[in-house]
Amino acid sequence: MKVLIVEDEKTLAYEIEDFLKKAFYICDLAHGFKAGLEKMQINTYDFILLDLGLPDGDGLNLLPQAKKHNPDAAYIILTARGNLEDRIAGLDLGADDYLPKPFSLLELQSRMQAIARRKFNVKEELLPLGDFKLDLQKRLILLNEQQIELSRKEFDLLSYLFLHSNRVLTRMQLSEHIWGTFADDDYDSNYIDAHIKNIRKKLNAWAPTEFLETVRGVGYRIKK
Amino acid sequence: MKLFGEWVIELKNNVKLSTKLVLFITGSKVAIVLMFIITLPFLVDGIVSEYTNYSLRRQQNKVINVVKKNGINHYLQGDDSYGSYTMLKEEYIALEPANKGLPIDTIKTEQRIIEQDTLNYRILMHTFNFQNKSYLLEIGKTVSSINQYNKPLQRIALYVLLSLIAISLIFDLFFTRMLIRPLGKIIKSKLVDRKFPFKNHAPLINTSTQDFKFLDASLVTLLDQINEAFEKEREFTANASHELMTPISILQNKMENMLGDEHLNEPEALKIVEMMKTLNRLKKISNSLLLISRIENEQFAKSDIVNPAELIREAIEEITHRFEEKGLSVRLNLKTHISIKKVNRDLLFQLFYNLINNAIKYNVVNGSLIISDNIESNGAYAINFEDTGIGISIEDLPYIFDRFRKTNLTENVGHGLGLSIVKSICVSQQIAISVSSEVNKGSIFRIIFPPELCK
Repeated sequence: MKVLIVEDEKTLAYEIEDFLKKAFYICDLAHGFKAGLEKMQINTYDFILLDLGLPDGDGLNLLPQAKKHNPDAAYIILTARGNLEDRIAGLDLGADDYLPKPFSLLELQSRMQAIARRKFNVKEELLPLGDFKLDLQKRLILLNEQQIELSRKEFDLLSYLFLHSNRVLTRMQLSEHIWGTFADDDYDSNYIDAHIKNIRKKLNAWAPTEFLETVRGVGYRIKK
Repeated sequence: MKLFGEWVIELKNNVKLSTKLVLFITGSKVAIVLMFIITLPFLVDGIVSEYTNYSLRRQQNKVINVVKKNGINHYLQGDDSYGSYTMLKEEYIALEPANKGLPIDTIKTEQRIIEQDTLNYRILMHTFNFQNKSYLLEIGKTVSSINQYNKPLQRIALYVLLSLIAISLIFDLFFTRMLIRPLGKIIKSKLVDRKFPFKNHAPLINTSTQDFKFLDASLVTLLDQINEAFEKEREFTANASHELMTPISILQNKMENMLGDEHLNEPEALKIVEMMKTLNRLKKISNSLLLISRIENEQFAKSDIVNPAELIREAIEEITHRFEEKGLSVRLNLKTHISIKKVNRDLLFQLFYNLINNAIKYNVVNGSLIISDNIESNGAYAINFEDTGIGISIEDLPYIFDRFRKTNLTENVGHGLGLSIVKSICVSQQIAISVSSEVNKGSIFRIIFPPELCK
């Protein structure tokens, strides 16, 4: 998948590029309004990540023009302007999602995947996870056609870890994904651990869960 | 019933200027009237006796002139002495020879017997020489005839005075009222019921009194300055926290990328995790400050109708894991079916969430939280959040809503902005909030929705 990152803060753009490349996206960078528009006129992209506060123009004004050139792309607005009006304006102009800065790259990728499933109708087959199979569209976890009951938050945790397989996710990253802005600020709380314990218990009743690792002092990881 | 003393103290401590002026003016007039009433009899007596003396002297001069002109025999007509009095014996004149060498010239009050009647007279006695003979002239006037006008005179004087005082009192009250009316207007338009921030500009008061003009203009300037300072602070908070977002973003993404590196060894990974925690704290603070400034800038529409009980249940649902973690029990005692209108749903949710979160944070293990509601007598709707936590000491109570104020530093209590957010939400949504607390027993946070928001 091809991604255009329109972001004037170069360091940030490089970090996003770095991350997405590892997740096998092909990235293009533009550091301003004009540069972004030019790239869009020449190439077609699957994803366009758009910063609003560009030095030579407002990203919100870029959106309608971009849609002309790249009508099929998915647009995600990245901005430090987190106010509601901008969010509504962006979504009204046809943006697919909106991530207020500072955002987590893990979250960005997870949103991109969700959009891909929704928008590009990417029919993922059942994804293997140990002896289990994950159906991200229907939000199910199966073992030989047998559906295993997980709570909403437990499934969210598991699929987030799965999406970022082979990467250690910290408790903080996990709780931020689950609770969003309401994620608690007391970091040593063990509610993520409690959830993981529950997941293990529920899955272990059916098959081994060695794929779900605890990384001491850091967090959890799904090893593929 | 109030004792008079209490009433006076109350009067001394809390009286409007107009009332004080009215009291002072009336009091001074009453004092003048009293003084006048007390001195009036003496005054009238004095004037009357002066005047009597004067008229007796005039009569004496007349008699002597007549004697000089017509000779003494005109009166004596051969007799030794002469006496004459009016029919009612109110006045008399007497002439008689007197011993030589003993001149008398007095006016005094004495008794005389005239035709068996003993009467009090004011008597002028005067000796004079005529043709080498000494004569005594007596002119008398009854005291009762002298004093007969005293009473009516006093009464009329009193009436005139009273009516003059009444007229002047009316004028005084009218004019003082008019004079201080601008002050009342200034107080009413600039100070009474003004809610911070003072956005709607009250116009200057129309007055010709220079002092009031100055006071009014100074108040307007002061309010403007307060507004400006507040505006600047708000702008600064918004800009500063906003500007922090991009650098935080860069750091966070860099750390995420570093942590994703497969070659990372354990000690390095742990260090990065620590850095991320610190950065996250910074992020939370900036986000909270930004939220507060957005609330204060009224960037949240107040057009939702919400069911508070439902929102509270949602908030509890969101935070269930924290209750379980600490073994807390929560009891919902929300009996009123009510909707709150003209509020922002998200902010209200945040308000409930923060209050509940606060009750959890400061609670003891296996403690409890009771959320109950009631309708106040004036129709307002109140919700109580009652926890069994560590409580807040009286010294700390006034400051718990201040930014970055942490009352109990032994606990890991986060960034200390949770209650500041609560406060600014309450202010923006016209909700009253109060706290009562007892150390080691718990706290009760009480929020009250005014009747006009209840539906």
